[in-house]
Formats: sequence, C-alpha cells, structure tokens
Amino acid sequence: MNGSLTFLSVAPEIALAAAVVLLLLVEVTFKPRAWAWAVVAGAGLAAGTALSAWQWVAHRGADTGTFWNGMIAVDGFAALAGLLVFPLAGLGLMSAWRLAASQGRRGAEFIALVLLAAAGAHLMAAAADFIMLFIGLEVFSLSLYVLAGFTRERVDADEASLKYFLLGAFASAVFLYGVALVFAATGSTTFYGDGGIADYLAGTVIFRPGVLLAGLALLLVGLAFKVSAAPFHVWAPDVYQGAPGGVTGFLAAAAKVAGFAALARVLTAVLGARADDWVPAVAVLAAASVVVGTLLAIVQDDVKRLLAYSSVAHAGFILTALVAGRGGVGDMWFYLATYAVQVLGAFTVAAAVSGDRAGRSPLAHWAGLGRRAPWLAAAMTLMLLAMAGIPLTAGFAGKVAVFRAAIDAGYLWLVIVAVLATVAGLFFYLRVIVAMYLASPEEGASLPASPAVGWGARFVLAVAAAATLVFGIAPWPLLEVLRDALPL
Amino acid sequence: MTVNQFLILGALLFSLGVYGVLVRRNAVAVLLSIELMLAAVNINLVAFGSLLGDTLHTGHIFALFVITVAAAEVGIGLAIVILIFRNRSSANVDELDLMKW
Repeated sequence: MNGSLTFLSVAPEIALAAAVVLLLLVEVTFKPRAWAWAVVAGAGLAAGTALSAWQWVAHRGADTGTFWNGMIAVDGFAALAGLLVFPLAGLGLMSAWRLAASQGRRGAEFIALVLLAAAGAHLMAAAADFIMLFIGLEVFSLSLYVLAGFTRERVDADEASLKYFLLGAFASAVFLYGVALVFAATGSTTFYGDGGIADYLAGTVIFRPGVLLAGLALLLVGLAFKVSAAPFHVWAPDVYQGAPGGVTGFLAAAAKVAGFAALARVLTAVLGARADDWVPAVAVLAAASVVVGTLLAIVQDDVKRLLAYSSVAHAGFILTALVAGRGGVGDMWFYLATYAVQVLGAFTVAAAVSGDRAGRSPLAHWAGLGRRAPWLAAAMTLMLLAMAGIPLTAGFAGKVAVFRAAIDAGYLWLVIVAVLATVAGLFFYLRVIVAMYLASPEEGASLPASPAVGWGARFVLAVAAAATLVFGIAPWPLLEVLRDALPL
Repeated sequence: MTVNQFLILGALLFSLGVYGVLVRRNAVAVLLSIELMLAAVNINLVAFGSLLGDTLHTGHIFALFVITVAAAEVGIGLAIVILIFRNRSSANVDELDLMKW
C-alpha cells in the first residue's frame, strides 16, 4: 500500500486541524459564548478519537501499513496513541476550562492550541519518516511553548515559557543533527519499506558505525529532553511551576505520551537492529532519571515543583520498560496511560487549591485541605498513592509491569535502583498527604480563597480516580490489549 | 564528490551554535545561536543528500522543511522574548531566576 495517497490514514489529524480552523473562524465571525468553543473542540476531539478507534479495530496486531510515500504509519501503535492523546486533550481542556474562560476572547486561541498540540502528538506517534516526526514534534512543542506562557501578564509564566522554548528549540536542533547523521549512515529518512532505515540496518553489516552511533546518541538526547529524562530534565521543574495551574496537567501528561510514543517507535522498530547499542544508554538514562527525580523531589516545598521532579522519576520508570525493547512496549503503554491520567488529576487538584492562573503552589496552601475540601484531598491522596506505587492502584500495576519487563531483559540492577527510588519516593508523596490531613493552616497565613472546582475539573478527577482504581484492581485486561499496540 | 569540507563546516557551525546557547546572555542572541545550529543541520542534510544522490532528493526536501519550521519557531520565540521584555524591560536570560531548584 506504500505510495497510495489515502486521506483516511491521516484522518485524525485532519479532524483536529479542521476543528482548529473552524473554531478560530467561528470565533472571529460570530464572537460566540464559551459553550460554542466547547462544542467545536469536543466535536473535533470526538472525531479524532472515533477515527483512532476505527484504525485500532482495523489494524491492531497487524503489520504496519505506510501511506503517503512512506510518510505516515497506520498500525495499532499509532491508533492507540490517538485513543490516548485525544481523550487526554479533552480531559485537559475540561481541567483548564475555567482558565480558558477567564481569558476572554483569547480563550478560543487557548483551545485551538490544545487541539493543535494533540494533533502534533498523534503525528509524532504515527510518523513513518523522520521528516514527519520532526513536523509533529514541532507542531506539538510550539503549541506547548505558547500554552506555558498563556497568562502573559504573569512574569513567572513568561519565564516558564521562555525557558521551555529555548531549551526545547535547542533539543530540537540536537535531534535534527542526529537525524542528519542517521540519514548519512543509512541513506534514508523513511522508517519502513524497501530501502527504509529498519530494512537497511537489518540487512547491512556496518563496519564503521561511528556516524550512525553519533546520530543515534543525538536522537536519544533530543527525545530525552522532550520526555524530561535526567540529565536532560532541567526545564521541567521551572516550566511546571511557572505555567498557569490549569494547563500544567495537560503539559505534563501530553509531553510524556507524545515523547515516549516517538521514542518507542524510533528505538524499537526503526533502530531495533542496533538494540545492543542503545539499550545500555536507555538503561543509564532510566537509572539517572529515577535517582535524580526522587532525590530532588524530596527537598521541594512547592507541590507543582515536587510533581515536576516526580515526573522526571516517572520518565525513568517508563524508560525502564524500553530496555526490554519490543517486549516492553505494551508495559510502557500501560504505565504511560495510567500515569498520564494520574498526573493530570494531581495538577487539576493543584490548580483548584492554588488557582487556575497561579504558577506556584507552596505546601502551605495545602495545610488542612482534608478539612477544607475533603473530596479534593481524597482525590489528591489517591493520585499521590498511585504515583508512589501503592498496591490496588494503577501505579502499582504499572510499576510491576515495567519492572518485570526489565528483569526479563536482564537488567536486574536497574530494577533494584528503581525499587529503591520507589521506596524513597514514598517520603515526598506522603509529605503532601500529611500536610493535607495532619497540618493546620498557619495563623494569619494568607490562603487562597476556598478551593474552587469547576464541573470540568470534577469530571476529570472522577475519571482519573476511576481509572486509577479500576486498572489498579484489574490491570490484566488492559495489559493484554496493549500488547497488540506494537510498532512493527 | 567529496563532502568532508561541508561536514566540517556543519560541525563547526553546530558547535558555534551550542557555544552561543551556553554563554550568550541576551535571549535574542541565544535564539540566533539556535538558528546557527539549524543552519548546520541544513548544510549536513544537503551535503548528504547530494552525496547519496537519491532520486527523491530527501536531503534537500528535509532542509526546506527545516527552514520553514525554523521560521515558525523564531516567530514564536521572538514573541515570547518581546513578552518578557515588556514585563521586565530586559531580555537577559541570567535575570530569569524567579524559579530555582
């Protein structure tokens, strides 16, 4: 089917792009109320989800088909990325709805950027050529840079935006240099098919692999930046702390899903023949991420910053699955899906506690939350326990899955490091829980007005809590299904 | 055809860009340094594309995409720098220290 120009292969992106154009046109023409934005955005995301579901039913477990001259891959992997990213963008919009609505007419731009980011994220997962991967990466990243600084009058949001932009653009340039070197070594930028990179590497013995290995290393650095794996994580804490509360959850969840989808396809499917070269590097990145993320999270006094360092540690846990190569991709998806929902839920609570527009969320804001807002505190407790990996939550099932994948691949030392980091991580998660239930607000401390939760945020928290519990108690059905989502 | 001179030029330009990102204080200068890195990538892509001589001209096409996307990137980057400048009357990246550790 290579070469056939079928629009169905990129239908999810078309649906999202059409929704963006429609949204902006409706906005400038009719200046409608906010609910009209919700209708257009919801229709676009629902169409994207439905088309991904159709692709999933048609292609799960089958070989990867490529379209548009080997530019776009249609397979279970890409379909699953859509099934994850589009609903996640919908939940992210609900979580950020009060923020969007508070921005006046600019709210439409906010929603358009979230939709564009979702389209870019799906393109990253569905790319079958480095050119497409680069375009998806940039569509996705450029949208997030703007979202991080959307409350433009707040100086810490501007700072977050600039830091994200400069480091992200730097990482993109490093990634591109890596692509250029891989292109030099293999003579192609296409992943699949005759003469594609995977084909070339599987069939050729490279006597002087220096250029290929340098390209592989730079590719890995560029993508490790995007998923905030240590030592390339320095942007994450500043961005997550400075970005407006309402949107931080989407930033954190979407960056992980898109980055890891791209990483998994490039490493396991395209460079699978060179697994002996990249697996040790990924193992070192994973170990560095869990250790650095956990240790630095322990000393934080700001909950959003703490969650950012915890997300660095989680990047390490997810990378742990990838040392198993193709065998770990299903486990990676399980961890990624459950973690994305948890982190979105946790940042949604943070936005409710400290304000949709506020960047910071100092631990003092959380004192006595258990009495002031018992439901919020309960939801946050569940999210934190799941991230810590307590049994009967999805976080525990995910950790068991990725650890088992790494042990099967012979990386026992990595699993030992990760388990020790998990235990140490309990400390900072419990610190927030203790603050919520056992601490009292300081006398005269200026707490934000009573936590305000919109209907959108309530729905997000209900979904996050339900998913965390259901997939924590019975993870097997989902794990089985996700094993069909391999990039071939 | 020998491509060594192009590859050396590309590597030097890339290193110059990395150096600029690391040491320049003005956000606009950092942005320029990132552009240098992308230019280095383009030189590499075009040189390899010519060397490999594939009929699809992948390297040249890729360079065109990089140029286009880099333009979009600079647009957004300069907008963010202007935002920072309006709020603080300075575009010095060393002064962006509201958040640390």
